Amino acid sequence: MNKFSYVVKNTILNMRRTPLLVFATIIAVLVSSFLVFTTLSARSIVQNNTLRWQNGTHVVVFLDDRVTTTAHKQLQESLESYSEVRTVDYFTKAEAEDEFRALFKDQPDLLSEVDYEKLPSSLRVNLNNPSDYELIIERMDGNPAVKEIRTSGEAIERLLSLTDTLVVSASAFALLVGFAAFILIINTLRLAAYSKKKEIKIMRLVGASSTYIRLPFIFEAIFESLIGTSIAVGLGWGIIEYSKNSIVAESIFDITISDSYLIYLTLVLLLSSIVFGLFASFVGIRKVLND
Amino acid sequence: MINLNNVSLVFQGGSVALSNITTSINEGEFVYLVGHSGSGKSSFLKLLYKEYISTKGEIEVAGLNVVELPKWKTPLLRRNLGIVTQEPQLLENRNTYENISFALEVMGIKAEEIESKTNTLLDLVELNENAFKFPNQLSGGEQTRVSIARAIANNPLILLCDEPTGNLDPDLSVQIVSLLEKINRAGTTVVMATHDSSIVNRRKKRVIELSNGKIVRDDEQGRYILR
Ligand SMILES: Nc1ncnc2c1ncn2[C@@H]1O[C@H](COP(=O)(O)OP(=O)(O)OP(=O)(O)O)[C@@H](O)[C@H]1O
Ligand SMILES: [Mg+2]
Repeated sequence: MNKFSYVVKNTILNMRRTPLLVFATIIAVLVSSFLVFTTLSARSIVQNNTLRWQNGTHVVVFLDDRVTTTAHKQLQESLESYSEVRTVDYFTKAEAEDEFRALFKDQPDLLSEVDYEKLPSSLRVNLNNPSDYELIIERMDGNPAVKEIRTSGEAIERLLSLTDTLVVSASAFALLVGFAAFILIINTLRLAAYSKKKEIKIMRLVGASSTYIRLPFIFEAIFESLIGTSIAVGLGWGIIEYSKNSIVAESIFDITISDSYLIYLTLVLLLSSIVFGLFASFVGIRKVLND
Repeated sequence: MINLNNVSLVFQGGSVALSNITTSINEGEFVYLVGHSGSGKSSFLKLLYKEYISTKGEIEVAGLNVVELPKWKTPLLRRNLGIVTQEPQLLENRNTYENISFALEVMGIKAEEIESKTNTLLDLVELNENAFKFPNQLSGGEQTRVSIARAIANNPLILLCDEPTGNLDPDLSVQIVSLLEKINRAGTTVVMATHDSSIVNRRKKRVIELSNGKIVRDDEQGRYILR
């Protein structure tokens, strides 16, 4: 028997002695890793969506049908003169119709019922800072040429603060569960080490190196941590793949997350789980296997 | 092979186990370490395998400076030594065969080699018939032979035995001592601690006697080397 197979054999023997603890440890690592993976992915998805929104239209000023060309030119110029405003685009009634047809091309019933004459022309405003939308509303208020003003700012802002809350609270939970996993690993290893006290003593007498005596414990910790994280990451990928094709994706949100970000996240998590296992085993057997 | 120069061992709290020990043991010697209970025999042996660390003095074992040897290199020292502790350290959940092969297993020896080596050792200590018995099914003498077999499994240069005849009747004690002499004849240096003076007197070997942690008798070095 060579050294490596001895270590592997003992790692397995150790774990078979405390199957429930091993199971609990893996579950704890799984939950913690899953929380980290999903919240970070979710944040990335929201960021991708808001990024597109940052470059898009922040305020739509619908114009009254009776407004003259000169009037809308004046309005556009005054909008452009505001320091908060980056660009203003004029959207004709015809363009509005095209856009509507493109948006609802899957719903011919709806398309056939709409009176396109009623679609107003509009000025589409892009702001330097999207949260300044209220200033625009204030300034346009009461202008006879303006029929209605719509902004997407409030909703997006709420979404962003929601994701921030989500990330913070999920991270807190992940930390908590991760700590539980840490304690579980330490206890599992200590239990195993105590039950093998005599064996370890004999190994020392015979001249087995301290690394060699520790390796089964280190392997066990890394294995449990790595398995938990792998399952969590696998689940996370599955959920993202699934939701990409789900109704949610089509209606509210674009589930876009770059593969490179996912791979990066996966690698970081797997690597962290190895470091985590190493650290936990170090703490777990430090006292027990000292000298 | 073993050199001690002015070695003292004082425990925390001030109890002196050994004081100013100077002696040396040559390759191939068989040495009895005798003395009353508490005279420091176990402490002497434990210093040699760095279970205890001396408070003072120089210790050289198998060419290694034991005192200066860093802790992580202790295994290196022990690979040169076979150690039979005062309390038998057998694994209760392993049979005779497995207890012996354990020493080979943890050193990463190949499976076939372990088998042939273990069988040779079982022959040597005459435990073939008890190969598949567990420690609690063995007599005291048999248990001691298992730990001796395990101690010499990796061909140590030096065999250190702490009271291997501790609780055995005279016949069995002679049996153990004969076994150790056989191992010594094969070239291994043997140091055996005992308080059994009847054995020592009969076997005509070098004797180092301790009393209150001091050497009170040390036969001329190498006087009883067998050639
Ligand atoms: N770990 C220890 N801590 C404190 N004192 C110790 C320790 N080990 C041994 N001693 C003391 O050192 C002295 C020598 O003990 P040692 O075990 O070497 O004697 P011994 O000759 O082996 O005795 P025995 O024949 O009973 O085995 C004793 O007084 C003992 O109480
Ligand atoms: Mg003793």
